[in-house]
Amino acid sequence: MSGVTESRWVGPAGLVAAAEAARAAGFFFESMTCVDRLDPHGVFELLYTFNRWDEAARFAVRVWAPKDEALPSLSGVYGIAAWNEREAWEFYGVRFANHPNLTWLLLPEDTEFHPLLKSFTAPPPSIYDDSMNPSAPPADAGAHDDAHG
Amino acid sequence: MTTPTAEPLDTYTLNMGPQHPSTHGVLRLKLTLQGERIMGVEPVIGYSHRAHEKMAENRSYAQFLPNTSRQDYLSGLIYNVAWVEAVEKLAGIAVPERALVARVILSEFNRLSSHLLWIGAFLMDLGAATPFLYAFDDREAILSLLESVTGSRLTYATARFGGLSRDLDADFPRRAREVLVRLKARRQEFEDLIEDNVIFRQRTQGVGVFTLDQCRAWGVTGPPLRASGVPYDIRKAEPYGAYPRYEFEIPTRPEGDVFARYMVRVAEMVQSVRIIEQALDGLPDGPVLTEGSIGVKKRLKPPAGTLYYAVESARGAYGIILVSEGGSEPYRAKFRTPSYANLGVMYDVLPGTMVADAVAILGSVDLVMPEVDR
Repeated sequence: MSGVTESRWVGPAGLVAAAEAARAAGFFFESMTCVDRLDPHGVFELLYTFNRWDEAARFAVRVWAPKDEALPSLSGVYGIAAWNEREAWEFYGVRFANHPNLTWLLLPEDTEFHPLLKSFTAPPPSIYDDSMNPSAPPADAGAHDDAHG
Repeated sequence: MTTPTAEPLDTYTLNMGPQHPSTHGVLRLKLTLQGERIMGVEPVIGYSHRAHEKMAENRSYAQFLPNTSRQDYLSGLIYNVAWVEAVEKLAGIAVPERALVARVILSEFNRLSSHLLWIGAFLMDLGAATPFLYAFDDREAILSLLESVTGSRLTYATARFGGLSRDLDADFPRRAREVLVRLKARRQEFEDLIEDNVIFRQRTQGVGVFTLDQCRAWGVTGPPLRASGVPYDIRKAEPYGAYPRYEFEIPTRPEGDVFARYMVRVAEMVQSVRIIEQALDGLPDGPVLTEGSIGVKKRLKPPAGTLYYAVESARGAYGIILVSEGGSEPYRAKFRTPSYANLGVMYDVLPGTMVADAVAILGSVDLVMPEVDR
């Protein structure tokens, strides 16, 4: 990938060790991105980047996480990882073991769908949406697909 | 006669926000208090979540342009330019010299307007109403200048893949220099009005210190990091656009407290003025949009790949992680926003401080909530 100095693929088991090594070497936690690779690979790709203040040394750690398998949480190594992992959970359904509080961060509590999945197309009719008249629901309510306008 | 005994204070929970005036947007802090001392904090965010990352996946690269400046509405032009430059890098689109320099000029003006708003709002949080009027007066001049070029005052969508939508007019350098002269003259007034004020110093000095270890664990960047003594600025660390041509310094302060964060931003404004002056002096002639380049109506299909593109926004390191599968829409776009990390550090910084200081500390990191929530 471009824009990084070094990129390394690790297995889920090597993730915490990689983060601990980055922390010990003086890197800060920069970002975490989850990518839906379920079709065709059946996995989520998690892309972590760590960076340094003293030199341009963006270090990318990439993991392929099998769909129904919990990943180790990095929240014990880097505090901000806890929020990033909550995002990955609410938007994709990725689970993290040993996470202190794996719950909704940006989405309303009790949201029952994972909207950044590629299989997700339109939200169900919202109880918060005033534009929908409950007395006269559209015939195709909940079945419309406006994802591509 | 009974002597008063010191009973242990009850622990209770206080919701600060989501409509608290000092949170600058809809942020809620669940504070666990003992008396007025903060024992624990749990930020509750997401109130202004608009699914920018999902929107990016189901529209073309150009159709996403208006979204960019709505993440951080105070330095939106920088975000707009960041998106365009990320896509240009992914797709290998050349940009004319004049557009590169104009982007720097407009971005730095945007940074100045953002910092001015922050000075006004932050001082207002601390109970000083007057600086707000000074800051908004100057900010108005910048917004009018940017409006004359971009047509917008807040949510800019002026950058295009391959340049800019509009050229700087012939009179622009003169008007820009007028604004710079005004800002430079104001510097002394701010010093007299704010920095030498005893109350301001007592509210800010030694308050809310960020340690380097905290900055690493939470990914703090931008003025809060530089106020802790680290000269880290993407414009120098990973030079982009026309920035490598200009001489400027990265102001730092060793203290790491609220006062240092104020001083760093004020010093940064001086450097922004310096950059704009150099850019105006060396503004090349020529087109601002590559002839026959990708207009907004054409379908742009960058090759498959993953890209990290970073810029320095007014709040810190802003990163765009762009995954292309070769289609006309991004496969995935992730935005690493500086306020997100700069808010996260509150878990470590706020416990142990007083409620009144929490207002000063929160104000000093310059949060923009739509950027945290995206």
